[in-house]
Amino acid sequence: MPAVETKNLSKRYGKVYALKNLDFTIDENEIMVLLGPNGSGKTTLLLILATVLKPTSGQANVMGFDVTTQPTRVRQILGVAFQEARGFWRHKPADILRFHASVCGVAKTERESAIESILKDLELWDARNKLFMHLSGGQAKRMEVSKVFVQRPKFAILDEPTSQVDLRGKRKIWAQILKLREEGSTILVATNEVREAEYLADRVTVLDKGNSVVCDTVRQLKDSITGGDIVELEIDTSDMQTLRNALGQIEGTVKIINASSNHLKAYVSMAESWVPKMTDICYQRKARISSIRVTEPSLDDVFLHFTGRTLRDGDT
Amino acid sequence: MSEIRVILALARNDFSYFFRTKWLMAILLSLNLSDMLVVALVYKKMMTFDYFSYFVPAVIIMGLFAASLDTGRRIWLALREGVIQYELSLPVSTPGIVLAYLLAGGAAALVYASSLMAIALIVLPVGAIWSALMLLPFLFVLAMGLAGIAATLSAIASTHGEFFFAFQNIVQTVLLIFSTVYYPIEVIQNFLPSFLVVVAEANPLSLAAEALRQYTFAGVSIELSFLMKILLSSIPFAIVGAFAYLGALRKLQVEGKL
Repeated sequence: MPAVETKNLSKRYGKVYALKNLDFTIDENEIMVLLGPNGSGKTTLLLILATVLKPTSGQANVMGFDVTTQPTRVRQILGVAFQEARGFWRHKPADILRFHASVCGVAKTERESAIESILKDLELWDARNKLFMHLSGGQAKRMEVSKVFVQRPKFAILDEPTSQVDLRGKRKIWAQILKLREEGSTILVATNEVREAEYLADRVTVLDKGNSVVCDTVRQLKDSITGGDIVELEIDTSDMQTLRNALGQIEGTVKIINASSNHLKAYVSMAESWVPKMTDICYQRKARISSIRVTEPSLDDVFLHFTGRTLRDGDT
Repeated sequence: MSEIRVILALARNDFSYFFRTKWLMAILLSLNLSDMLVVALVYKKMMTFDYFSYFVPAVIIMGLFAASLDTGRRIWLALREGVIQYELSLPVSTPGIVLAYLLAGGAAALVYASSLMAIALIVLPVGAIWSALMLLPFLFVLAMGLAGIAATLSAIASTHGEFFFAFQNIVQTVLLIFSTVYYPIEVIQNFLPSFLVVVAEANPLSLAAEALRQYTFAGVSIELSFLMKILLSSIPFAIVGAFAYLGALRKLQVEGKL
């Protein structure tokens, strides 16, 4: 049984559908990344699973509990880091975490050490005595995700967990998310950052206009793009045209173009199987390869492939 | 963690929030203390009756009233800042969140009013302390009822702070004019339509002010039936407020905004 499952889930604001008949699953102990531009329905899905919003129709279950009819049971197993940090303005970070840990049932004996450890790891220790309303955007965001890391819930929801956070902070948050998964949590991350999705995801669901466009592992998604891998070759050979024709016969080749006299650019599917065949052919034809550069498609290319738009286009 | 423990944790958190708002504390205390220690004592010398014993209970009830109504401001802030969405994700039922706010509103107002009462008790006989202690549970229910009114106002105003503060001032004016907090019932009998006399007598603010005057300041023996009137007139406000706030939360969950 999946840890999280939605069936025909729809959410409508007035006449506009934020989600439309969404079928979606997350396996236990998996990091599922929702990838999509702003307005694709990521946050709406997260808020429904977090019991903050009620669906217009359809069903959503978290660990076997229905989010509409058993919201309190769902809330007992979930931890949420919202897109915008939600804090009590006149509380200090340590107070906010102490309150959160206490309400979410973190053992009294473990609370202080857990809070100190997370505040230090996410570099909030020096800001622990500032009021929440005086934290910078990045600090407030790190504070928001800290709640989940102190709580260590069975099901964690993180909405754009590293937006406004610098690269160093991003890496620390990613490491914490991976650690949480190692400890057995099921994790749902929404992002529009391709690199974050690639770094974290066991599987990626591409959302567009409230629908799941495709869902698979990052590897499979990239491999599903015909000619998505680009192999750039610098070759010394006396007969480039014949070699180019031979390379064009390799399975998975979509097209090969001459970038310059000794420079070929091949658009192929699954470069990892194409490159060994290419080297065999070059060896047989005594062509000397002076450099190979393989570029795989990004998840932005995946999004483009499946929706016809880039993630940035979707933002506008 | 059981539901009750989470409700109490939420209530404690909101309770502390009231006292963390230092500018509000400074305004309330300066107003109430200047009324008690300057106006009441000075007027006592100018009047033919004990104005201190008449006016200070009014100040205490006003303190309770103002502190209770601050619950609405905190609810409005929680709605505006999205904190309410965070609270809706915590392991507590939605009615539990509503209850926590009313409990916190009642407790914060009671602590604030009790501190004013403690200052007044310095000049009252020792026996007044016992009467004051007896009144506290009833004042707590009254404060919850007033917090319920505040919750209703913030639910109606949703995220428009200016509406909330306007509604709050209208309610405050109406509840005070048609009450015996600042003047005796004879004033209403002489100058206002007769049905307003009934309204003023049933007004929980009048009842609480009269209870303080009679039982704590005048030393009259406590009548339980009179205290029950405070309960009966306060509970409906708390219930209406709870349902109004619950309705606002449901709307937020269904429509995504207020």
